[in-house]
Amino acid sequence: MTRIPAPFVLVLTASALLLAACSSESASETEPEASSAGSVTVQLLTHDSFALSEDVIADFEESSGINIELVSGGDAGSMVAGAILAAGAPTADVMFGVDNTLVTRALDEGVFEPYTSPEADSLRPDLADQTFDGLVTPIDFGDVCINIDDTWFEAQGIAPPTTLDDLVDPTYSGLLVVQDPGTSSPGLAFLLSTVARYGDEWPNYWQQLKGNDVAIAGSWSDAYYGDFTFGGGGDRPIVVSYATSPPAEIVYAEGEPPETVSTSSMDDGCYRQIEYAGILAGTDNVEAAQQVVDWLLSAPVQEDIPLNMFVFPARAGTPLPEVFTEFAGQVERPEQLPADYVAENVEGLLTEWGSVMGR
Amino acid sequence: MHAPTWLRWAWVVPAAFLVAFLAIPLASLGRQVISPGTVGYLFDPLPWRVAGLASGQAIVSTLLALAIGLPMANVLTRYRFWGRRWALALATVPFVLPTVVVALAFRALLGGSLGSGFAIVVLAHAYLNLAVVVRIVGARWVTIDPRMDLTARSLGAGPWTAFRTVTWPALRPAIASAAAIVFVFSFTSLGVVLLIGDSSTRTLESLVLRQTSILLDFQGAAVSAAIQALVVGSVLVWAARQRAAQRGGSARPMRLIRPRGRSSLAVGVVATAAAVIVLAPVLALVWASLRSSSGWTLAWWSGLFGPNTIDAGSTRIGSPLSAMARSLTFAIATGAVAAVVGGLAAVSVLTGRIGRAFAIATALPLGISAATLGLGTLLAYGRPPLDLRATGLLVPIAHALIAVPLVVAVATPTLRATDPRLVTVAANLGARPTRAWWTGYGPALRTVMVAAGGLACAVSLGEFGAASFLARADGPTVPLVIARLLGRPGEASFGVAAALAVVLVIMTTTLVAAVDRGGRRR
Repeated sequence: MTRIPAPFVLVLTASALLLAACSSESASETEPEASSAGSVTVQLLTHDSFALSEDVIADFEESSGINIELVSGGDAGSMVAGAILAAGAPTADVMFGVDNTLVTRALDEGVFEPYTSPEADSLRPDLADQTFDGLVTPIDFGDVCINIDDTWFEAQGIAPPTTLDDLVDPTYSGLLVVQDPGTSSPGLAFLLSTVARYGDEWPNYWQQLKGNDVAIAGSWSDAYYGDFTFGGGGDRPIVVSYATSPPAEIVYAEGEPPETVSTSSMDDGCYRQIEYAGILAGTDNVEAAQQVVDWLLSAPVQEDIPLNMFVFPARAGTPLPEVFTEFAGQVERPEQLPADYVAENVEGLLTEWGSVMGR
Repeated sequence: MHAPTWLRWAWVVPAAFLVAFLAIPLASLGRQVISPGTVGYLFDPLPWRVAGLASGQAIVSTLLALAIGLPMANVLTRYRFWGRRWALALATVPFVLPTVVVALAFRALLGGSLGSGFAIVVLAHAYLNLAVVVRIVGARWVTIDPRMDLTARSLGAGPWTAFRTVTWPALRPAIASAAAIVFVFSFTSLGVVLLIGDSSTRTLESLVLRQTSILLDFQGAAVSAAIQALVVGSVLVWAARQRAAQRGGSARPMRLIRPRGRSSLAVGVVATAAAVIVLAPVLALVWASLRSSSGWTLAWWSGLFGPNTIDAGSTRIGSPLSAMARSLTFAIATGAVAAVVGGLAAVSVLTGRIGRAFAIATALPLGISAATLGLGTLLAYGRPPLDLRATGLLVPIAHALIAVPLVVAVATPTLRATDPRLVTVAANLGARPTRAWWTGYGPALRTVMVAAGGLACAVSLGEFGAASFLARADGPTVPLVIARLLGRPGEASFGVAAALAVVLVIMTTTLVAAVDRGGRRR
């Protein structure tokens, strides 16, 4: 009798497991489609930070007969890169989350199919003209701002900085951590805010930041949880983050939400990021895709956005949760640069930043 | 050699796998990106300068990994002592943990900044790649008969001479394999470089990421990716040449040595040091998962398993439990695919020139950046007419591409060391070709495939880059969930991420130990 060699047994068992796993997974995926027979599925391409409440999605699926399938594109930049490479023969029907630093390139490459949502009438006035000739629809916006560990400053008896100019003051030497703009989206936004503020003098400002011993981290997580005094065991009480980071600290605190939070967002020198949704050119599901864009701008989704993604809704008059009205930075005059200026100059800006900072 | 006929066709499977899941995706991407104008980008000095910097860094990282890893491999795979099997499984942990998790854990433990720059990057690379050295060299070392060494010693050779003349020649090909892979991982490193690197430690992989996702400069990215593939390919060919210089010898696993006298002291010291080195970040993670600003807490663990899991009702991270099940499924699938494809590739190395060429080709995915592989796969298999994303197969396939080279690297040195005369003897004694071949190569194949399978599972459990392109948004793996949690503020986000990282460590250790044990029992 021939003994069956052990590796073959292992391999067979593993293959069987794999098959079982796959078939059970695909079975669970096809189930909801079968239950709402005859309905269409819209693939919604999003980045890693996308989130909505499950019941908001379920309500829409039920009332519209459209199934939403969320497709991940990696981080925002990688998602846009993938969409550009697949322009005309897209990997999904709708893309959500392309922001104003990347949108021009996507528009130039013919990624989007024009669509003006009837819901666009309800956009905030400052966003109403931000549709790039009806190719994309603003869905939310957020501000990249300097965050401050107030407790630390209180303990040291130093007044925290309030403006970009303050950050180069020797009082705050060795206290700031920023992200590398070449690898991090908030890092790039902060660089752009200094360009918007100081114009051609921006390299000079960064020279002074360098002289003031600024730390440079590779990513937001590394800066916030690694270097920032509040997030983890770091030793720097000033960090580049978001206007909505303080409310997030409340929502994701341990146990009962605390009354107050010990970080705050500086209102000066914030850079505004607007996130858009658009229909991907080449989709077969234009009509259903249009409904999904309308839905993203509808009141239920817009009200759901703040506590899921920690950004502000683009629809005028959307009520904000209390943690937002109380603890988020209220940025009256954010820094902004025209999207086409950013698209044309970002490479040159990064190269010059690299030579100023010696990276 | 009396090889059974089917063996001559073994190379077909790895070849088909490579064409389908490497060549076609790369071609889809290339067709979209490359134009005659791309040639001009070759004259940009930046990618070449980065390639030079990264090569220097990778050489130093490799030497350091060997200096620490070889004594560990010796002790963990050859000596009998309590807890050896778990120590061997634990040694795989640094390799599998997402780098951001390890770095943040160390910071939580030590406080303050870790510093950055060349020295710390090289240390980190050596640390993360210990498992590669231990697994690849260990798989060969365990087959070297300790009596050879004793014989040399009894003939008057000192310990150093005995090592140099007996052990070293037998180990050299395996060491070359391990060194090549550590070099490649350090050369293409991304997470560590972003986290603690500076201008002296840039890699082409980080350049590709910047060109792809910040600058949207696809032609520049294509040239950087091509230069990276070129360097990696050259190193792999060098390693294959070293392996070809292998001489024969027994390839059966030897009995474990019971340490005595001075050697038991040495074994104790090395084993303890290994445990401390490997356990430090794990303990730091456990600590971080139990601490909050108000002291000790179990809140983060109940955020994973309790009735009110973190983000319940939101699509942000999905259910942590289903992410664990998903990661485990992907890992087992990856182990199976990689074992079959890599095993056949390694076996076909024995059968001739074509097989050898393909064995080198299977190693090429190591040089392809995750962004390149992810985007290419998306273009080829992520849209009509062929959309495989819903099948859930793309992630294990991408992981298998990365794991197959490790399987080949573990298996080849040992298989080449197997004495082919055993097959002849079995055949002369009347065994049919397949049976005779199995008699000769089976025991060695079993040992190395098990070691390789464990490594492949570990690769899949910890992989982040390709999965971020190919996993469904509502179907993230454990490392993706950790990254999503660490992508936003809040104590709970960090605490639950730490708890989940501990779970990842437990999953890895258990899976690898189970695979190791399964292989030894038969």
